[in-house]
Amino acid sequence: MASEVIQKTVSGLWRLSGSARATPAVLSIDGSATTLVTGDGVAVSLPLSTLQISDRIGSIPRYITFPDQGVFETADNDGIDALMKPHVGRHAGLIHQLERFHPRLFVFVALAIAFCFALYRFAVPALVEVAVLVTPPVVPQLMSQSALVSLDKTVFSESGLAVERQKTLVEKFRQIAAFTPDRIKGDVRQPAPYTLNFRKGGIIGPNAFALPDGTVVLTDELVELAGQDDEIVLGVLAHEIGHVDHRHSLRQLYRAAGVATLIMFIGGDIGSGTEDVLVQGSAVLALSYSRSAEAEADRYSVELMHKAGHDPLAITRFFELLRTKLGESSDSGFLSTHPATPERIAETRRYAEEIAAGK
Amino acid sequence: MSRELSWPSCDQLRDCNRTALHRAGIVSGARGAAKFMTSIQWGREGQAGAAVDRNVPGNLERFSFRGRAGEYFGIWIVNVLLTIITLGIYSAWAKVRRQRYFYGNTYLAGSSFDYHARPTQILLGRIIVIVFLIVYNVLLNLFPIVGLLFALGFSLAIPWFIMRGLRFNARVTSYGNVRLNFKGGYWGAFRAFVLSGFVAGVSLGIFAPYASRWSWRYLLDNLTYGDRPISSDPRIGDLYRHWWLPAILTVAGLAVLGFLVTAIGAAYGAFEVPKDGVAHPGLVLAIYGILLGLFLVYALPALLYKAGVRNVVLNATVLDQRHRFVSELGKWRYAWIAITNFLATIFTLGLARPWAAVRMARYLADHTGLHAVGSLDSYVGTVRDTGSAVGAEFMDVEGFDFGF
Repeated sequence: MASEVIQKTVSGLWRLSGSARATPAVLSIDGSATTLVTGDGVAVSLPLSTLQISDRIGSIPRYITFPDQGVFETADNDGIDALMKPHVGRHAGLIHQLERFHPRLFVFVALAIAFCFALYRFAVPALVEVAVLVTPPVVPQLMSQSALVSLDKTVFSESGLAVERQKTLVEKFRQIAAFTPDRIKGDVRQPAPYTLNFRKGGIIGPNAFALPDGTVVLTDELVELAGQDDEIVLGVLAHEIGHVDHRHSLRQLYRAAGVATLIMFIGGDIGSGTEDVLVQGSAVLALSYSRSAEAEADRYSVELMHKAGHDPLAITRFFELLRTKLGESSDSGFLSTHPATPERIAETRRYAEEIAAGK
Repeated sequence: MSRELSWPSCDQLRDCNRTALHRAGIVSGARGAAKFMTSIQWGREGQAGAAVDRNVPGNLERFSFRGRAGEYFGIWIVNVLLTIITLGIYSAWAKVRRQRYFYGNTYLAGSSFDYHARPTQILLGRIIVIVFLIVYNVLLNLFPIVGLLFALGFSLAIPWFIMRGLRFNARVTSYGNVRLNFKGGYWGAFRAFVLSGFVAGVSLGIFAPYASRWSWRYLLDNLTYGDRPISSDPRIGDLYRHWWLPAILTVAGLAVLGFLVTAIGAAYGAFEVPKDGVAHPGLVLAIYGILLGLFLVYALPALLYKAGVRNVVLNATVLDQRHRFVSELGKWRYAWIAITNFLATIFTLGLARPWAAVRMARYLADHTGLHAVGSLDSYVGTVRDTGSAVGAEFMDVEGFDFGF
């Protein structure tokens, strides 16, 4: 009899609603009625269903809130659970059971690492593809217009290239652009209208780049670097069309957003310093992603030039020109936005031969 | 640095500090535990406590943190795992469990704190903030000109979010069944978080102590425990006493870093602008090296300054015009814990995070106290309505963290 009484009561502190003053109290549950007896002899009896019992977390105190907002507090977690056992479902306290220090936690660690990896490796790329497909064409258009406006204000100045030369290049550019495949079959969207723009590069020097709506910008410095060899310029332009056709900038944007979201999900539980490092780390990984995008655009250039009846090795010759004229010959570069030039020369040459052999 | 404290302490010396702590900490901890288990009334405890610190009127109540790394590890890994499995939805429940674990293990005079936010509140706040941020970023990217107006509006909205966030966080926090409340307004938040950042930045950190004073006074002066005020009035001179060392370290660090960058740059020519417009891998590496160097140069002084400011501010903070707060962090020790915590977390792929979080919570609690004059149990509060969690989640997502 005595042992039964011990099992059916839990001692703790009772506080009236909103009051810090505590009095010792004893809580018991009999059937579905809860009885609270406070130190000064006041007894309250209420149906169990009217009480709110806080979840068990580690060994922090449990709080049982009464309908009048009075609170019974106890450190006797096991005692409360024993009292409650007949009155709750089998799954009550499941989370707490999972959290207990147990070898099972090793499995959780392995699962968490595996899931993080899978999300990064598969879920983010899949979501990026979906996002690229559902993005209305107005988005890249707006992005491109605003990007060009701000670049014109900051970096570029008006092209000093002879009008005749510009006309010739635009003509040839249109000719190769006509051979771009319509990537999304059956799509009502028109293929991106490629336009060629000339600018004086300023600090970015000999360069060319593409905006996601098909606007391609070519700097005077690159044209001068190529001399009279228009094929080389075309090879570079085909590379830029490749970026547009593969929607690289949109992908990169979504990817960064996806990775940032992933970090934010677990962010609250890893500390702010670590979160910052992850953000920086993902920037490094984004660079390696842009490397593979460059390689993809290189192959695209080879293909497009071949299809348009131009020299598929033009992009290769461009890299060789860079190497001889500017001494750009550094090996490897995981952190670089562009793959090392000797690699690109070898890879584009190999791919050009492969395509030539295939036809 | 904590000479103004009225009980013996050995400052930042690690072992010495620990002894000082345990002298008071264990006594008060044991007292608290005994009180809690046997449910002796508090009034009598106050009398017993006074005997421990004979030399001061009232008695010093130590905060203590009773969480354990092993116990928290289980909670943490289940939080991470379920958050991933539920694609982020569980993060609201995870936050509540994490907060309740840390609040519930923080004791003062035998009573613990508690965190009362409901997971559904947190989830709703989080969704609203994320949608808001997505819309904001899309608009900013699509319409850069109009976007400038949005950016301006957004920075004007930040103090409002912070104000509401602080209010929510205060109202879901209780100590001994009595909730905190926060009564700060918009312009106070504007000065404390927008203007202060501007002033500290433009003055290259020279006015940082003024900025700190604005922020901390806004945070603490507007706080009430139940219906009783908390007031904080740190003296600017005291704040400057903790400013010069970090300032000198920062300037010295920048000078050393600048010298190294110039020397290495001259040796390898990594900083010649590549003429082909293709980034040189060496350049990219060098940029990361500089970023890492800057991080180190700023992190240590920032931590030293943070600890010093916390001591000054809390030591100038009074609850209900009677009970004085006490903070005696060793600033080098604090910086050491923060930096080793960070490194341990990085090198264990995050797995040491529970240990690190518990370690920091314990250090902060152990070095914080309340100089109580009379009993702490006469407080009453009526706060029940917490309002929406949007501001609090905004602070969470944007990384505003005002841990005391």
